[in-house]
Amino acid sequence: MTEKAYPTPKAQGRSKWLRSLRNDSSLFLLALPGVIALILFAYLPMSGLILVFKNYNFNGGIFGSPWAGFDNFDFFFSSMDSAIRATRNTVMLNVLYMLTGTFFSVALAIALNELRSKGYIKITQSVMFFPYFISWIVIGAILFSLLDFEKGIVNRMLEGIGMQPIDWYAHPWLFVVVLVLANIWKSAGHGAIIYYAVLQGVDTSYYEAARIDGASRWQLITKITLPMLIPSIILLTLLSIGGMLKGDLSMIMGVTFLNPLLLPTTDIIDVFVYRTAIRSGEFGFASAITLYQSVFGLVLVLVANKLAGWYDRDSKLF
Amino acid sequence: MAIRENRTLLIFFYVFIGVFAAICLIPFILAVSGSLSSEAKIAANGYSFLPQGLTLDTYKFMFGSKSDEIIRGYLNSVSITVLGTVSAVLVTSAYAYVITAKGFRFRGAFAFFAYFTMLFSGGTLPWYILTTKYYHLNDTLAGLFLPYLLNVFLMYLQANYFKSIPHEVVESAQIDGAGHYLIFFRIMLPLGRVGLVTIALFYALQFWNDFFLPLMLVTDEKLFTIQYMMYYMMANIQFLASGNASRISGALIAPPLETAKLAMTCLTVLPIAILYPFLQRYFVRGIVVGSVKG
Repeated sequence: MTEKAYPTPKAQGRSKWLRSLRNDSSLFLLALPGVIALILFAYLPMSGLILVFKNYNFNGGIFGSPWAGFDNFDFFFSSMDSAIRATRNTVMLNVLYMLTGTFFSVALAIALNELRSKGYIKITQSVMFFPYFISWIVIGAILFSLLDFEKGIVNRMLEGIGMQPIDWYAHPWLFVVVLVLANIWKSAGHGAIIYYAVLQGVDTSYYEAARIDGASRWQLITKITLPMLIPSIILLTLLSIGGMLKGDLSMIMGVTFLNPLLLPTTDIIDVFVYRTAIRSGEFGFASAITLYQSVFGLVLVLVANKLAGWYDRDSKLF
Repeated sequence: MAIRENRTLLIFFYVFIGVFAAICLIPFILAVSGSLSSEAKIAANGYSFLPQGLTLDTYKFMFGSKSDEIIRGYLNSVSITVLGTVSAVLVTSAYAYVITAKGFRFRGAFAFFAYFTMLFSGGTLPWYILTTKYYHLNDTLAGLFLPYLLNVFLMYLQANYFKSIPHEVVESAQIDGAGHYLIFFRIMLPLGRVGLVTIALFYALQFWNDFFLPLMLVTDEKLFTIQYMMYYMMANIQFLASGNASRISGALIAPPLETAKLAMTCLTVLPIAILYPFLQRYFVRGIVVGSVKG
């Protein structure tokens, strides 16, 4: 036999390397559209953070506008009140959503897990999941017909039981309750499916053993079902800590329509940036708060990751 | 085995789930019955759970005078959803294939390149300036789906589906001389079908419900999507209702504003409601895969 049929290890290595390079070029091409999308809409915007040090004007754009040094930070600190308000609202709403949302999702999942009738589970689960598919704009429109001062159903019910109607869209603190309830309504069914899926994976022998020991149903729930969910609850909570400074712009826009009366509690950071920069064109201040949001958000992600790692090495994100 | 049953507790769970499910459904009943009511009755008595003076007048009005806008809004929403979903699924699954390709030395690098964007972002403002001033995507149809072509979370979901395909299949194809394109299009895409359907549904839902992109990028009414039309209508009615102007002109406004909002709501939800029974199980499966993986 000749060398051609049995190539030397070295030549084989080289041809393998060449082949993999040729094959890899197709992998690079397959990844290319994704890479371009990420660069255009995620990486280049990061470089836009230099706006903080720029005196933005539309003609110059991000890169051509003159440098402003730390002037924008002066502006930032001089308008500290609004920045603090926006941060407080973002964190406050997120914490409230997280606590109430988790509570209801877990409660629903545990209840679903106890039901016997498969048909009942299927139907109620489908119905509970439905609001997750609806946009905030539609929810905002429906909420309006519930809460409208004169024609809304809620006020007419209040009148029916002899109470004064409430102008929901004029009470910022009362509206926090509305937002929290709306969030539970939209997302608790979705969360319940996540936790219910976890419970479906629980080994049934735990329950059988406990039953033999004479555990009551309530004990089964508190001693087995709930502890089984705790790792997922902690993990999902830790993950959401990283998003603490991110607000849901479409939720606030869709539900409040930027009603100025509600801004004291609904002016989250994203809404604030939208109002000051995109609507009014005051880019300097808005870019300072954007930088602050990104850096602080990154710190939160790193902290959450560290916490996840302490809790469970496998839960770490990176 | 003496199982101590707790009947009260069980009944409580049935009621709890039932009540929550009912609460999830009732607002939609309200919207449907409102859209089927007559404007005058709503103005006099307010909204209600049952239709007042059952009538199709609102829909007749909307398809009479507003039909052009509504049809255009629907067409825009449908084209964005279709174009966006198809291209996003291709881009996303190709990227997912690359980061799962066995023996590819840069797969970790590509994975991190995508992952990093979940950690840190430039925020809305630089994004907005780049998209409008440098890419000129404002007031274009492309601007309403291009920014969402790669959702990193869904990309990882799809990568998980690809990982579950036995490597032997790929290996035997490679022995037969298949390159990555062939493997991707002829083997991975067909075998990863369940995953593709799942992420396609998530994308379709995102594109259909999206409201952020039109809010940021669109001023031209020709590009209004159905969701944005809805917002525009709500925001303007809110504006009308908040000032004294409405008190004076309220009597003069002929169009059924209140019922029209709810009719619009029903039209926006209708496609989802029709497809929901078929789609739901895929979403549930997607969630289950996502939650098992953590």
